[in-house]
Order: sequence, then structure tokens, then C-alpha cells
Amino acid sequence: MLSFILRRLGISAIVLLLASVLVYFLTTISGDPLAGMREQANDPKVAAQMQARIVALDLDTPWFIRYLKWLGGAAGCVWGQCNLGTDVNGNAVLDQLGSAAASTLRLVLLSVVIACIVGILVGVLTAIRQYSDFDYIVTFIAFVLFSLPVFWVAVLLKEYAAINYNNWIANPSFTPAQVVLTAIILGLIVMLFMGGSWKRRVLSFGVVAVVVGVAMPYFTWLRFWQYPQMGPAVIAVVVLAVGAFALQTTVGFKERRVWLPALISAALVMVVYYASWNLLSEPNWWILILGLVLAIAVPWLLGAWLGGRYRPQAIGAAASVTLTGAFLTIVDHLFVTWPGFMALKPRPISTIGSNTPNFTGNFWETFLDNGTQLLLPTVVLAVVSIASYSRYTRAAMIDVQGQDYMRTARSKGLPERTVILRHAFRNALIPIVTIVAMDFAAVIGGAVITEQVFGWKGMGELFQTGLKNVDPAPVMAFVLVTGGVAVLFNLLSDVIYALIDPRIRV
Amino acid sequence: MNTPETPEALGASVAAVEDAQLAAKQDSLSQGRLVWRRFIRHKPAMISAAVLVLLIIVSMTSIGIFGIKGWWPYDFKTTSVSINGGVPSAQHWFGQEDIGRDYFALVMSGTQVSLIVAFLVGISGTVLGTLLGAIAGYYRGWIDSIIMRIADIFFVIPLLLIAAIVAKTASGAISSPWFLGIMLGVVSWAGLARLVRAQVLTLREREYVEAARAMGASSWRIILKHLIPNCIGTVLVNATLATASAVLLETSLSFLGFGVKAPDSSLGLLISQYQNSFTTRPWLFWWPGLIILIIALSVNFIGDGLRDAFDPRQSGRVKKRNLAAAALMGIRPIPVPTTAERAELAARERAASGPPRGGAAGPVDAAETERTDEEEGR
Amino acid sequence: MSHTRESAKRGEVVLDIRDLKVAFASGDDAKLAVNGLDLQVKAGEVVALVGESGSGKSVTSLSTMGLLPPNAMVSGSVEVTGHQVIGLPEERMRKLRATEIAMVFQEPMTALNPVLTVERQLTEALETHNLAFGQAARDRAISLLERVGIPDAAKRIKQYPHQFSGGQRQRIVIAMALTCEPKVIIADEPTTALDVTVQADVLDLLRELKDDLGVGILLITHNMGVVADMADRVSVMFMGDLVEEGTVQEILYRPQHPYTQALLAAVPRLTDVALTHDDEAGRLEAERAGAAEAKGREVVLSAKSIAIDYKVKSGTFRAAEGVSFDVAAGETTALVGESGSGKSTVAKAVLGLLPTAAGELRVQGRDLASLKGKEAKLARRAIGVVFQDPAASLDPRFPIGECIMEPMVVHKVGTKAERVARAMELLAAVKLPADVLNRYPHELSGGQKQRVGIARALVLDPSVLIADEPTSALDVSVQATVLEMLKEIQADFGFACLFVSHDLAVVDHLADNVVVMKRGQVVEQGPTERVLHFPQEDYTKELLAAAPVPDPDAQKVRREARHRLLGIGTS
Repeated sequence: MLSFILRRLGISAIVLLLASVLVYFLTTISGDPLAGMREQANDPKVAAQMQARIVALDLDTPWFIRYLKWLGGAAGCVWGQCNLGTDVNGNAVLDQLGSAAASTLRLVLLSVVIACIVGILVGVLTAIRQYSDFDYIVTFIAFVLFSLPVFWVAVLLKEYAAINYNNWIANPSFTPAQVVLTAIILGLIVMLFMGGSWKRRVLSFGVVAVVVGVAMPYFTWLRFWQYPQMGPAVIAVVVLAVGAFALQTTVGFKERRVWLPALISAALVMVVYYASWNLLSEPNWWILILGLVLAIAVPWLLGAWLGGRYRPQAIGAAASVTLTGAFLTIVDHLFVTWPGFMALKPRPISTIGSNTPNFTGNFWETFLDNGTQLLLPTVVLAVVSIASYSRYTRAAMIDVQGQDYMRTARSKGLPERTVILRHAFRNALIPIVTIVAMDFAAVIGGAVITEQVFGWKGMGELFQTGLKNVDPAPVMAFVLVTGGVAVLFNLLSDVIYALIDPRIRV
Repeated sequence: MNTPETPEALGASVAAVEDAQLAAKQDSLSQGRLVWRRFIRHKPAMISAAVLVLLIIVSMTSIGIFGIKGWWPYDFKTTSVSINGGVPSAQHWFGQEDIGRDYFALVMSGTQVSLIVAFLVGISGTVLGTLLGAIAGYYRGWIDSIIMRIADIFFVIPLLLIAAIVAKTASGAISSPWFLGIMLGVVSWAGLARLVRAQVLTLREREYVEAARAMGASSWRIILKHLIPNCIGTVLVNATLATASAVLLETSLSFLGFGVKAPDSSLGLLISQYQNSFTTRPWLFWWPGLIILIIALSVNFIGDGLRDAFDPRQSGRVKKRNLAAAALMGIRPIPVPTTAERAELAARERAASGPPRGGAAGPVDAAETERTDEEEGR
Repeated sequence: MSHTRESAKRGEVVLDIRDLKVAFASGDDAKLAVNGLDLQVKAGEVVALVGESGSGKSVTSLSTMGLLPPNAMVSGSVEVTGHQVIGLPEERMRKLRATEIAMVFQEPMTALNPVLTVERQLTEALETHNLAFGQAARDRAISLLERVGIPDAAKRIKQYPHQFSGGQRQRIVIAMALTCEPKVIIADEPTTALDVTVQADVLDLLRELKDDLGVGILLITHNMGVVADMADRVSVMFMGDLVEEGTVQEILYRPQHPYTQALLAAVPRLTDVALTHDDEAGRLEAERAGAAEAKGREVVLSAKSIAIDYKVKSGTFRAAEGVSFDVAAGETTALVGESGSGKSTVAKAVLGLLPTAAGELRVQGRDLASLKGKEAKLARRAIGVVFQDPAASLDPRFPIGECIMEPMVVHKVGTKAERVARAMELLAAVKLPADVLNRYPHELSGGQKQRVGIARALVLDPSVLIADEPTSALDVSVQATVLEMLKEIQADFGFACLFVSHDLAVVDHLADNVVVMKRGQVVEQGPTERVLHFPQEDYTKELLAAAPVPDPDAQKVRREARHRLLGIGTS
């Protein structure tokens, strides 16, 4: 297993080296870095500028010598003496890299995570409901989504979603037509999603439409959009509902070994909600991470202790309770922060940059600022990947369904849920993991475009200006960072692959 | 050992029944014809093909191509007075842009360029990818390693980035969409090469390939006559998908400013130029985007139709019980629990293609529900 | 064990199929796969359901489990321990599976989920049916594994399927079928994918389980030897119809229906095998006969202590070593052995698909290894080949005519018209109509494709024909046709034939000389009369004893002989 990973890492390193040579060479021949100046070379001022640029770019040396110099500097990063060269203007690339890399990687990683979760979920559902209306509609939407030009969607979202929302939030209200239309559309979506017999469909449509139709004016009346609130009572209800759902889908309500840890977890959630209020009003990332660790560790211990022969089910039920609780607690803090944030930033969804310039606020306000800036680019980037992941997942699931071991599983009398989750899904994940890793580079490519539309000063900007100026150093910095992350991502996928597939491990 | 030579024995043997069936058979269809028949029954693909052909014809004839004049009265270079702020009208279907140029002519010219680039990328990338993939898979060893390591570059560096650099270099040398298309094709073969290689790796173990090698056929004959034709499904499907993504690649590059350069126009370039007119003249933004969407969507659907046609097992609704079957049994049908929908298909697939393992093997029995040649009847 | 369940009384009917009809819809058409089947299985008895491809026997097994695909329609009645299965809602059918009726599948390599441990796959049925949990379930699974003969079960239960051999996996599949103590087990070709010696072991296991647990077994098979070995009663199906049923003696000794008669006649038999006593006189006579025949042979293909290496991750693996044999014109030499014996490897080396690492391989006196370029190509002309898998042996994109003519095209022989004429000639030789020339492989059945394969192999009039398991994927009756054809054609064309097979009965019928291989080594070789009827080596004897014969009494004798050979107590 270790040798497998090391071998893959070695190959990736060679590939990365190969890629860097190729990109360096192509960039140097992609144009004349002095093009603008040659015509006025008689002007001594321009001549001096030209000379400066020749020195900055080291144009008198052959390209491969320059490449080796760059490689030497980049290799220094391994022992902490990074030198990624200078750009046309003589500024060190390394200084520009930090913030650019941070904002780009935040965007890319968040999009990939969201795309994986949503895409795989949708893919599994369409595979289970193969040839249903739901399948056909999702298939069509997926085709539209990966036929869409990213930059075009980005501009559309910017113009419609962001600007309209910002206008609307200043004075939120719905016309009756809007309410009716939204209720009908959401009802139809849920109906398609649930499927089933006609009776069930009509019922799910009716319930959703009525709930939405009532909730929209009611929340507006509450001024929920400007002053959102949830409070402990709602949290308690939701947490209990999630626990009940978890019980119902596993062993039912009769089994004390499962409902007891779930109930204890629910009580703990409420205790922690009050106890941590002050601490979470002004937290930092470490506190949040600690909270997440506790939200996993505590139910695990409870389930392991009380679960008996239902240990996995007990841990699952308890963990779904605590994780929901933790999530809602954070949402509650965000709700409390929202009015203050609106005062600081009256047009919340911004379309330029990765954070609002000169924005100062407490932890949650900064969090909201970054979040609202990140929202649209992430959606744009994730949407295309969701489309392709859901298709791949569907194909992989259908492929697995045809395997002999699925028939064996059914012949044992296992319920369909177990057959799908335990037998089909794990096997289907094997090709999906590979495809997600392979797709990573494409997501970075998409990020370059998205950043351009949303005016981010990220890696894409670095690359674009570098290439326009025939300036290898920033381009190479892009290759180094994104390539390095891609290699790490591939490595992660290899590890996951080996974890899922014992044929690699043992 | 005795053999069934007596006539009454032959009358009831599987071999005799099969020979009788073969003799009774009338029409004979090649795989290609079967695929074609399935493809033309794929409605979304056929609609898409019609839309695409229509778009190609309109874009070529309206403003003309290769210096031949078309039926559209305006050209895309002449500026004039904006009528009514350039809103789309009966004269100017797509409206006019800020200096009064006819936008329909501009968009059609951009469509031509985008289509040319996309098809060139699709064709050259497909040819390269197929050949490199087949060579890597057939020869294996160090040739395979080199080709696949180069292909791996696209795992770590986005294609968009390499394409941008290549496109900039290309437009610096010869500023022509034709040249741009071919250069982009040169860098977009990795995905297909990987797929073709994987398929060739399994095909080369097939017995007909071993038979060809045993009879002394040259490597090139095997690659060109046996391996590549049997990858044709993968190749064609991916050629269409590559063309669809080439449309998006070219428009993205032009949007970023590395693709088609003025005075040539392309759909991506138009969006890039007019994205700031969104609030004043939204149609300048809408038309090129919609055309890109139509091209990419129809090419993708054609690819989907091809995939279904080449691999009917992966798709197509499993036929529900029908009245004919009920009549055959002379009874009222009783519904069967619908669980192992795919299990039977897989068993059938194995019986049709998979070699029985090792030395000890017997007839695989699962093929009995349906034979492969009846699949064209769906 | 946390539960005790009543087992069915011996003689009680546990599976009762009456007038079962199954039809499949395809397009606007429908096909009747099973047409009115009646069949009863009692507790403690084995009923064999016999038939060739397309007989409907596997569809029957899926109907009893409620696992038919949605395009199937069923009518009639299937009662499992008194529960009507046809039309039963999925949720209730689910509860019957594993507890009342369980299934053993054909392919042990794919029937187990590769990403789950054996423990998980064994215990999940117990947990699903609320029979045992946690440690109790694990203990039960371990005892089951021990029961089916997996050594070191407590440790190995944590392993994954790929860490077990094919035979062991089939034992695990059987253990899985037994977890919830079903009353009926459907065994769908349970030994078809296994080597003969492993098959014999698995059959022994099934027989033991039947006797100990009193389950009823519906054994679905095409192998008459397995029927003779296992079954109490037999039902024969042909094209969806039940053509005959009766006790195993009735069916195998006194078949009434012409189909059953033809089927039994087509089964190659290997009898008169001296397994236990050394028949010295017979052996000597057989050897003399072989020696007399050996004079005046024109040796076409000869191998002298050849060795063949495979490249694997850690260096090379010697797949065959010290293999010597020769084949004369008009003669057939058979390479026999189980999977992994290296028999196909040797055939591939003769074909030039694998290089020899040592030794000498001569075709018509020329050393194949020393030939280069044109000469090597010329030498290839002298060798024709027929492969195992009819589905893969012809390029699906070539019309049959082009398939047959390909060797002529490669070697640039003849004009177009001459090539077509030659192809027609060979099609006639393999008794296929001339219009097949323009048909495509997918329109032909397995046996027909194999005949086309023979025609292709002979198109250049080779002096050597390599036949690598040419009939092992075919039905018995089709196999008989193809083998007879091969014999006739050899008499006409006079080529030397190297015949690779695992089936000793086929070899006995066809070959003049036999080379028995095991793990890359030659175990025993000589004239067929001697090697297969008076075997000297234990391994040859073991192979011969493990191959079941379609004769219940003779098979009983042979089974006991095998048990004595292996030192197992006879049951």
C-alpha cells in the first residue's frame, strides 16, 4: 500500500516536471515580450525600459538555462528558500502568490466538495430510479449544464441573481404571483424528486406547495429576510426530527440501544447550545474545528458504549443528531450576526473580488463577507462538475447493478436499501473516485474563467497577465501551485481508492 | 464416443436447430448498419442533428463563406446608424451593436468560426488520440509509458491553460481559425487516448487478435484493421463529446483573449466584448451565448445517441412485459417482482462476450432469454 | 446459535413447480423461455434439471427465487415450502430468500462482492433475517466456513474474496447459501467454472450437506457426469419444454425421448480405466500397439524440452518447463491439464505468440525461434489455429468471408476470386451454407462460429493445426458435431493436430498421443491408449477419477476409487 502510494507520487512528480518544461518552453515562444517597445526603440527612454525588461526577464540567456534557474529557485521551496523569480516589472512572484493561491484554492476546493456531494447523491438517485421522470429530467438538465459556457452563466448569475437579490433585500417583499409561482415550482421539483405512485406525487406536491405558499408571506411579515432568527426551540424540534428519521430508517423506535444514545445526544446538543453561546459569539477556527471533532467523537463513544449489537446504527443515529445540532448552532449565530452584517454591507452579494476591500468586522461578519463573495463563483464552478459527476455516478451505479454479486446479495433476502448502499455504492465509488481526481485540473481551468468574470485577484489573474506579457515566472507559479495541489488531490484519491478497494490494499 | 448421426436424433439437437435457423434467416446486417438503425431511432439525437445541420446551413449561407456572398443583406463589418437603439427588429433580427453593425451577421460570422475551430479540434484530436491510444495499448512497455506520461500532464495542468498558451503561440504565428483549430486539436487528445488504450488493452487479448498475430499479420494491420475498428464506438462517441467541449474551449479562450483575434470574430469573443453592455443592450450578450448552448447541447445529444446505439445494453428501457408475451402464454399476466433488472442483462452479456475461465468450462446457460442479434429489434 | 428452526422432514415436498411458464418481451415480440414445467423437489433429495443453452433451466431457477428481470412474465405455480412465490410482493419474497430457499451461483469469481469481507457477506443474511447478531453471527459464520472446508476459518473470515482460490470461493458461496438453513437450495451450474478435481470436491461437499442437513437441492447442470454423480431424479428440458423426467437410472440408462437419447449419445465417455490395480499386461499391449504405430511417421511439429517465461511484476514466472512432444502428419497429440497447468501457454508458444526461453521448437524441421522476418512469416503459414471462445474468435466487424480469407490476405495468396472460391470450399467442408460468406459473426451460434474458425485455420492448407479448447464453451451436442467434423477434416487434409483440452473424454476420443501437464511440468505422456487407460502417475489417475461419467453405477465405483486414491473415507 505504501509502496503503491510512493510509486504514484513518483510518477506524478515526473509528470509535473515534464509539464513545467513544456509550459515554460511554450510560454517563452508564445510571443515577443518586447513587442510594444520595439517600434519606438530609438526613444532613449523606451530603450532604457527595454533594457530593463531584458534584464528582468534574462532574455539574453537561452530558455532552457532560464528554466533550470527557475527550477533551482523553485526547488528551494522544499527547504524553505523559495525563489519563484520575478515578473516583467521586477516584482517577486512569491509575494503575489500567497493571497492569490489562498482565494483560488478556497474557491476550487469548496466547489469540488459541493460538487462531489451533490453530484454523487443525484447520480445514485437517478441510477436507482432509472428511466423514471426524475431520471429523464435530471439527465436533460445535466446535458444543458455541461453544454453551458461557464463565463456566460457567470455573467448571467452576476446580472440576475446577485443584482436582483441585492435590490430585493433592501426592501424584501413578494407579490402574490411570485408566491404562487414559487410554490408551484418547488412543489413540482419535490414531486419529481419523491416519485412513486400518482397519489403520493399529488400529496407531495400539495404539501410542499401549501407550505411554501404560506411560509413566504409569513416570513416576510416576520421580517425574517432582514432579521432571521431560529432560537433553541426550533433547533430542538429539528434535532429531534432528524433523530427520529434516523431511527425510522434503521431499526425503528423500539430498540433502546439505539434511541437512548440518540436522545442523550439531543440533550447534549441543547446543553452545549446554551453553554457555548458566549464562546461562539467571538470564536476562531480552532474552536469550530474542536466543536466538529466533539460532534463526531461524543456520539461515537455513546453509540459504542450503549449500542450493543446495534453499534453502527446507534453511532449513526447519534452522530446525525449532534452534527445537525452543531450545524444549526452555527446557523443560529450567523442569523444573529446578519442584521449587523447588513448594516456594514447593504448589498450583501457582491460580484467583484474575493472579499470586500477594507471590510472590518468580527469573526462571523468576516465569515459572512467571505461567504457572500464566494457564493456565486462557487455555484458557477460547482454546477458544471455536478452535472458530470452525476452522470458518471449514474453510469457506475448502473454498471455495478449488472454484476453477479448484486444478484447474490438479493438472493440473500437483503432489503433493497442495504443492497444499494452496502453492495452497489461501494463498488461504484471506485471509478467515481478516479474520475473526480481526473476532473480536478478541469475545475482549476474553470476557476480561471470564473475568477476573470468575478474580478478576483487570484491565480487566474496571475496566469493571464503573465501569459499576455510573455512572462514565464507568474505562469510557472500557477503551474507549480495548481499542479502541486492536483498531485496532492490525485494522491488523496489513490488513498481513498485503496481504502475502498481491498484488492489494492491486500 | 458415439455421435448423433441418426436423423431422428439430429431433429432434436441444438446444433441442428441452429443450422436450420441460420438457413432460414433472410436479411443480414453488419454491425455498422445495426448501430445506424438504432441511432436514427434515437429521437433526441435526431432532433439535435437536424438543429445542428440547420444552424450550419444558416451560418454558412446567410453571410456567405469563402468570399461567396450569402442571402443576408448586411455584412458584419459595415457600421451604420442604430435603429431604435439597436433593438432586434424585422430588418436586424438580432439587433445592432453600439456602432451600428448588424448583430445577426456578426453572430453568424462568429458561429462559422466557432464551428470550424470546434470541428477541426474534434477531428484532429480524435485522430491523434485514437492513434496514440491504440499504439500505447498495443505495444505497451516503454512506448505506452511515454505516451501515457505525456497524457498525464493534463491531469495536473488544466487543458484550458495549455490550450491558452498554444493558442497564443499559434495566433502569433498564423492568425487563422483553421490553424488555431488544428493546434488546439494537437493538445486535446489525452482523454480519448486514455480510453482507446484501455479498450485496446482488452481487445488485444481477444482471440481474433491473437489469431491475426498467429497468422503473421503485421502490427499495423492489426491496429488498423482489428483494433481501431472495434474501438469505433468509443472513438465516435468521444469525438462528438470532444467537439462539444471544443466549442466551449474555443469560446472560453476567446473570452479570455487568447483565442480568435479581431478582425475574425467568434462567439466567445462576442460575449467578452459585450458583457459590459448587459444592462444597456442585453441581446448582444444573449444571442452568442444561446448559440453556443445550442451547438454544444445538440452535439452532446448526438454523442448520447451514438453511445446508446453502440452500446444498447447500457441504455434503453428494459422492455416491460407486454401483451404479446401474455398471448403467447395464453394467460393473464401476473406481475413479477421487479428487482434484478440488470442482473439478467449482465449474465446475458457475459454469455455473449466473456470467455469461460481457464481450462474447465462448459456452456454458459444464461444466454437463453435472448440472443444478441435480436437486440436490434428494440 | 441463538435459534433453532425446524428442518423439513425427509420426503416432504419443499419445492413444487406446476405448469410454470415464463415469457420474455423483446421489442414487440415475445419469447417463451419456459413452457409448462412441472417439477417437485423433496427434502433430502437432489433433482437435476438438465438441458443445453436455451433450454430454460436457468430461467426456472430465477423464477423460484423471484429474481426474474422486469421484462419477464410468469404464470403457473411455484411453491416453496408451501409459500406461493409467483406474484408474491417483493417484501414478502425477500423474507423467503435465504431462510426457505437459497441459491448457489455458477461463477464463484464474480458472485462475491469484492469490496466486502467474507465475514460481512456471511453475517448480513443472519442479521437481515433477525437470526443472529454480532459475535453470535460471526461464530455461526466461522462454523459454516469450517463446515464447507475452509481451513483456518476464524482467521480467514476477515479476508476478502480475492484472497481465496476459485474452489474456495465456491465453498464460501455454498456456506452463504446455508447461513439461514434453507429448506431448498438451487445450485445453478455450481461446478461449471471449476477444474475437474475441484469440481469433484465441491460435489462431495454438496452431497454431504444434503445428507446431513436434509435440504432439497435443485441441481441445474448441463453435465451428465455431474447428474450421474449427484442426482436422485432428473428432468430434461429442451427449448423451454420438459421433455422427460424420471429417476437417474431411468433417464441415463433407458432414455425414452429422442432428444435425451441424442444428448446422452453425444456425451463423450471415457471408460475402461484401470485406476487402482496395475494391469501390467494391458499396459504392455497398449504400449506395443503405440510403438508399432509410431513407425513411418512424418513428424511435422516437435518440441524439445522447451521452457516458457511470463513476465510478472517481480521478475519472470516460468509457466512451462521441459516440455517435449512431437506430432506427425495426420496425428493428434493432446495437451491436457487443469487451469494453470501451462497447456495453453505451450500452444501459444507454438503459435509464436510467446517466446520460448529454452529448448527447441521445430515446425517441418525449421527452428521457429531462429527464424526472422519473412521466413518467420512463411513458417506461420504452416500453422493454423482454432481458439476456445467462439464469441471472441471472429472479428465482429468482419463478414464471415473476410474472416476466412484473412490469412490469404495477410500472406498475399491468390486473387480475389480464388480467395472467395477457397472460402466457399472450406465452408462446404465445415457444412455451412455458402451464403454465410456475407453474414456477420453475431448472426451465428457458438458452434457455427467455431466451425468458421476451423475453416479459417485451414484456409492456407497448414501442416499443423493448433486447437486450444475448441469445444469447451459449446453445448454437448454441438461439441459432438464439431469434434466429428474436425476428425473428418483431418482425415481429408492430413494435418498434424495439437489439441489442448481439459476434458479427458474428448481427448480419449480424438487423440493419438497425450501429454499430461501440471504446473508447467509434464507429468506423464505417451499413446492415449496407455496414458488414459493404464495411467502410471498418481496425478493422471486423480484427474481420471475426478472426471464424472454419465453412468450412475460406474460413477459410484469411480467416486469410491477416487476417495481411496486420495485417502478419504468413502461415504
